[in-house]
Amino acid sequence: MKRTLFASAAVLALLASAIFAFADIARPKPAPRGLLYSGLTITTDSKAYEARLIISEGTLKHLQEAAARSGGDNAGLSEKIMHSSSRTIVAGVFMFLAISFAGIWFARSSEKRHTRAIAAVILVAAIFGIGTIIVRANAGPPGYIRWQNLPQALKDGKETSGGVSIDLVPGDDNLKLIIPMRKSGGSGEE
Amino acid sequence: MNTFDLSSTPSALAALAHGRASDPRVSAKRFAAIVLAGGLLSAALASWLPLQMSIATVFLFAGPHNWFEARYFLMRLPARFGRSRNFFLLAFAGIGILTAAYISFPALYYANLWSGANWTDAIAIWNTVMLLWIAALVLMRGRQQANRDWFWVVPVTFVLCSLNWLGPEVFSLAIVYLHPLVALWFLERHLRRNKPEWVRTYHRCLLFLPLLAAAMLWQLARTPALTDDNGLFWRITQHAGAELLPNVSSHLLVSMHVFLEMLHYGVWIFALPLIGATGAIWQVKSIPLAKHSRGFPKLIAAFLLCGLFAVGVLWFGFAANYTLTRDIYFTIAMAHVLAEAPFLLRML
Repeated sequence: MKRTLFASAAVLALLASAIFAFADIARPKPAPRGLLYSGLTITTDSKAYEARLIISEGTLKHLQEAAARSGGDNAGLSEKIMHSSSRTIVAGVFMFLAISFAGIWFARSSEKRHTRAIAAVILVAAIFGIGTIIVRANAGPPGYIRWQNLPQALKDGKETSGGVSIDLVPGDDNLKLIIPMRKSGGSGEE
Repeated sequence: MNTFDLSSTPSALAALAHGRASDPRVSAKRFAAIVLAGGLLSAALASWLPLQMSIATVFLFAGPHNWFEARYFLMRLPARFGRSRNFFLLAFAGIGILTAAYISFPALYYANLWSGANWTDAIAIWNTVMLLWIAALVLMRGRQQANRDWFWVVPVTFVLCSLNWLGPEVFSLAIVYLHPLVALWFLERHLRRNKPEWVRTYHRCLLFLPLLAAAMLWQLARTPALTDDNGLFWRITQHAGAELLPNVSSHLLVSMHVFLEMLHYGVWIFALPLIGATGAIWQVKSIPLAKHSRGFPKLIAAFLLCGLFAVGVLWFGFAANYTLTRDIYFTIAMAHVLAEAPFLLRML
């Protein structure tokens, strides 16, 4: 009985550890890395035999530069911050000190004009904070809006332009163009 | 009646140059005309030929403006420190240590003693020490003045430290762009002392500065990147932040940096001496350290002569190898950037 219990417990422990260790689950595919943001125009040509990808010299140069940097220090500012935990910790400590000392200054500041100035700063910060939440910072309309009329435009032989993010993925697959489309009446952000 | 007449600008400058800053003929409007014309000319040249103007202005004015700054700082240095002794001790110690550390980074790297692997962290630490040093100076200065509570500097400094650690290189770039504007603050403080009737006009002129910057932004934001296919042009665009801000036109970045540098040089070489802030340039006796009975007139004179010699050496270096001299200059020049902090605080 003891042996059975011990064996059962060992199996359960092994299974439990497999949950945390993700056992032999295959490594996830590396996520595409944002390389460059540019503009894209999709148009039709009734006389063409092959699909063509036309890239301006300037864009190609920027693409080459971005690709050259991608091997090294290509991360953007936000990525650098997110991926540098030690620096983020130090920044957090300093922010903590700033708030603490601001509190001390506020507490020992007896002058009314100081109190009013601080109240004004807090009020302005609160208004900006609430405003930022309401308007979702300075985000413009989502990119897929520009592509909504693509099917109709393709049928009509008209051009459709919008933003495009050029991502870099490992491997040697064909070029892939992903167009963001939303079904009308869907639950997305519309 | 005073008129806004640009044609009279040379006479106004001449009147200023002859020490007649209080000359009633040099009206506030003429002063405004000079400031606005200088700002417009700088913005136009910096936008039109950014790389060429960067090379030319650094070649011509980098050395002389350091000499004028050194001359100015000597003017502001009291013969006896008195109760400001600790303030100046901390100021000079900070200038020396921070400059030595700043120079040591590239020196260790090029001597193969440091791989530069933790370059960003090293820059972040240097920036933090600089911020804490300035905060300490501000607090010491605040204590010397009655009815002044400058304790708010502490939380502000910590906020800046926090931002610095989030993006040390961007923070350093911000210093590159903000440092030239400190000269405008020095000018404001001296106008308050020497020409208070010009202060309001000067403030209005300063409002024109963001308009000029916005016009440059509007005009140059979509311009193609500058051709930085040689070492010197690449170095200039890097200095202006082209690598850190790849989505911003390098033409705009270099133009903006050159524009601010031109204002900086203009204030130190022309504006401050012309309103008499540096005293009569060739008179060593106008410097308190030389004039005092227990002063050092010969030492001061020798220092200024050595400074002139250094300006000549810098010109020679630029002529012989501009790129290398420019790199060395901008590394060593950190000393004058740091020195501005305590002397500006003395003016507040």
